[in-house]
Amino acid sequence: MTAAIEMRGITKTFGPVKALTDATLVVQPGTIHGLIGANGAGKSTIIKILAGIYARTSGTVTVMGKEMGVITPATIEAEGVHFIHQDRLLVPTATVAEAIFLRNEPRFGPFISYRQMNRQASELLRQYFDMELDPRTLISDLSTAQQKIVQITRALANKAKVLVLDEPTAALVKKEVDNLFVVLRRLKAEGRAIVFISHYMAEIEEICDVVTVLRNGSDVGVVTPADVGIAKIVEMMTNRDASEMYPRREPVIGKPALSVRNLTVAGAFQDVSFDLYEGEILGITGLLGSGDKDLLKALFGQVTPDSGEIMLNGKTVHFRTPVQAVRNGVAKIPEDRRAHGVATGLSVGENISLASLDQMSSRGFVQRDAEARNVDALIAELGIKTPGRHTLVKNLSGGNQQKVVVAKWLSCNSQVYLLDEPTVAVDVGAKVEIYNLMNRLALEGKALIFLSSDLEEITEMCDRTLVIYRGEIIAEYQRGEIDANRLLAVASGAALNQKETA
Amino acid sequence: MTTLAKPRLRFSLDTVSNYAVIIAFAVVVVIFSLTADGFLTGSNLMNLISNKVVLLAIIALGMTIVIGAGGIDLSVGVSIDLSSMIFIMMIAAGYAGFFAIMGGLAAAFCVGLANAILINKLKINPFLATLGVLFIGQSIQRLSTQGGVPIYLTRAEYAAPFDAIARTNLAGVPAPIIVMILCIIAVYLALHRSVFGRYVAALGAQAEVARYSGIRVAFNLSVVFIACAVLSGITGILLSSTVRSYVPFAGDAFLLDAIGATFIGTAISAERRPSVIGTLLGVLLLAVMRNGLLLIGWNFFWQQVGIGVLVFLVLGLSFGLKKRSE
Ligand SMILES: Nc1ncnc2c1ncn2[C@@H]1O[C@H](COP(=O)(O)OP(=O)(O)OP(=O)(O)O)[C@@H](O)[C@H]1O
Ligand SMILES: [Mg+2]
Repeated sequence: MTAAIEMRGITKTFGPVKALTDATLVVQPGTIHGLIGANGAGKSTIIKILAGIYARTSGTVTVMGKEMGVITPATIEAEGVHFIHQDRLLVPTATVAEAIFLRNEPRFGPFISYRQMNRQASELLRQYFDMELDPRTLISDLSTAQQKIVQITRALANKAKVLVLDEPTAALVKKEVDNLFVVLRRLKAEGRAIVFISHYMAEIEEICDVVTVLRNGSDVGVVTPADVGIAKIVEMMTNRDASEMYPRREPVIGKPALSVRNLTVAGAFQDVSFDLYEGEILGITGLLGSGDKDLLKALFGQVTPDSGEIMLNGKTVHFRTPVQAVRNGVAKIPEDRRAHGVATGLSVGENISLASLDQMSSRGFVQRDAEARNVDALIAELGIKTPGRHTLVKNLSGGNQQKVVVAKWLSCNSQVYLLDEPTVAVDVGAKVEIYNLMNRLALEGKALIFLSSDLEEITEMCDRTLVIYRGEIIAEYQRGEIDANRLLAVASGAALNQKETA
Repeated sequence: MTTLAKPRLRFSLDTVSNYAVIIAFAVVVVIFSLTADGFLTGSNLMNLISNKVVLLAIIALGMTIVIGAGGIDLSVGVSIDLSSMIFIMMIAAGYAGFFAIMGGLAAAFCVGLANAILINKLKINPFLATLGVLFIGQSIQRLSTQGGVPIYLTRAEYAAPFDAIARTNLAGVPAPIIVMILCIIAVYLALHRSVFGRYVAALGAQAEVARYSGIRVAFNLSVVFIACAVLSGITGILLSSTVRSYVPFAGDAFLLDAIGATFIGTAISAERRPSVIGTLLGVLLLAVMRNGLLLIGWNFFWQQVGIGVLVFLVLGLSFGLKKRSE
């Protein structure tokens, strides 16, 4: 049987950086092929070479028996290979339907038939993802998760023979991941090949038939997860033991740092009240659109509440802009890294110190030695893989960019941290580093709110968890009171009635 | 024994791409030294610096701040002209040189403030906001000069303040050059050493990220546009104090060269960002080209062609090679 994709001896250098060294990736039709490795291992790079975004330095690429010379995005799409890239965004000013049918618009003579296009887009979204979304919505108004779904739908609409997904499930909630997996299994049964990149080992185990493990730009093994087990695979990719995933901490809870009373943002959430204490990690979880993200936005001054009160250390505050929030000691690691988290055109060092220059300057001048020390310490502490602090962030791998965002806020000594999916796209090893840092912040008396679509993360890391459903807090659990599966049930509203009668 | 990796082709391509401006500048100077009579004479170089370089450099510094922050200022001509107009009118009205200078700078400040308000409060993008200010500023000049009649103050009764300015020097270095050097130092420190400079870079790279990092975007943008306007105002005063007159719309001639110098200058930084050193090189390159082409007898229109070709060469070399090496 000819392989769907056969990449051999692939090498890629970026100036002095060697991203891939003699890497091999062979994918058979009718299989779901996992591609895993730590942040910066070269996963996205090998995919972008296949996609014609980067030119390979050396190596051969064969697609369904046909040897490819110079690849461009158009030639590879013509072979039926479609991509959902980690960091290629959709055109923000396009509508959902336009994005799905880009370059493949239903036509009426020379004209695009918008009516037909909108109808087909709705159908596809409903059919594959059971999602009701107005096809005329602008891409820029969608959440990250919704944008991913639109991208996947585009590939499906194009009847891809090979579908390559670079971290498609990052920031998707369980229900959407399940839907995606149903779709992927269906495509597999139809004989298509799927390449699947993820940092979530449970997903790899669940969906992948074979896995290629990359380490430092080379493939170190092709294994079947069902045979060797996940622990072994993690060891292959990181050279470390995966047992200590969630570091423990003895919580020292202080006085209330942030109090929220009857907070309402019309259309997002109503009448939300809770306290966040010093030294506490508070989890908030809910389904897509439950209002959890909007709550963080209100706390960070991105939206103005319609009613209710926010108190910081007992004093009422009204944040109209993120600037006011930051100046009052509230930091936020935003979910949308590219739009709000890092400036990819600035260097690693400039990004890390951006929010804390006040502490590293005197009379308006940057103290460059102090800055360099601080930045280098954080690069080492978080294990950010970069040639140095002068490297532009756009040259870092996705996970390492995320670490830069985390480093930026760690350096600025805030009192309240709002963490929206801080571990998205971060590899297993670095996740542990971020957990350690969260613990350290909490032990220093900071107050943390932690949002994550990975519910295990929530139950393991948080001292207390609030469940938000359709804009209302419906349940509160102390650490150990609930496991990830039940939490999901509660968050989906399934357990709502039981809980109330219990 | 240490083994040093042989410098490879890619390394040298990178070098060429980063130093394209410097290489071009050196080549241009050498060519004109050989071909243009009188190019390498003291008087020509002095004339080049005090008449061409000083004025363009100060405006281009302002433009560097604005473009560095991700904006553009089409109204620098208005700042130059209004400052020059107020300065000359106040001298004509008998004010002392110092007050006339302050008056001129205040006019330029107001132009910057107008830009800042349009951009921050009305959320108009910098291109359109400064374009609007450009139109309005031109009309103001027309209305206050009967449709654009220059004001000449060449008679002896006005000579005193101008003579005072012309006599001012430091160890023989004339005042305009001193002013330029002070502006260079100030903008260099502001952009490349201060916290403000970091904020400017962040605004230029991704304004949303700056906002989310707690940076006061509106305030910093206001400083950016006001600084650019005031620098242009300084130029206006230097210009009108040397020619002892105010010529309406004289400032507009600098706009494209200032933008050009800034973008040419981005080629010297590895990140392709506007920088003070780069902009100054861009200014020198443009000034030397103009001067040299004039000396070898090209008329203004062919000078424009020559400069256009040079810009393509420099930027093509720099950005093209950069892309290639990726
Ligand atoms: N355009 C570029 N210029 C310079 N270096 C780059 C560039 N793109 C990637 N790299 C480097 O190549 C290496 C591999 O990056 P790649 O994006 O493939 O990693 P990845 O396996 O996808 O990681 P992640 O899980 O974080 O997404 C990294 O060290 C990265 O810094
Ligand atoms: Mg990647």
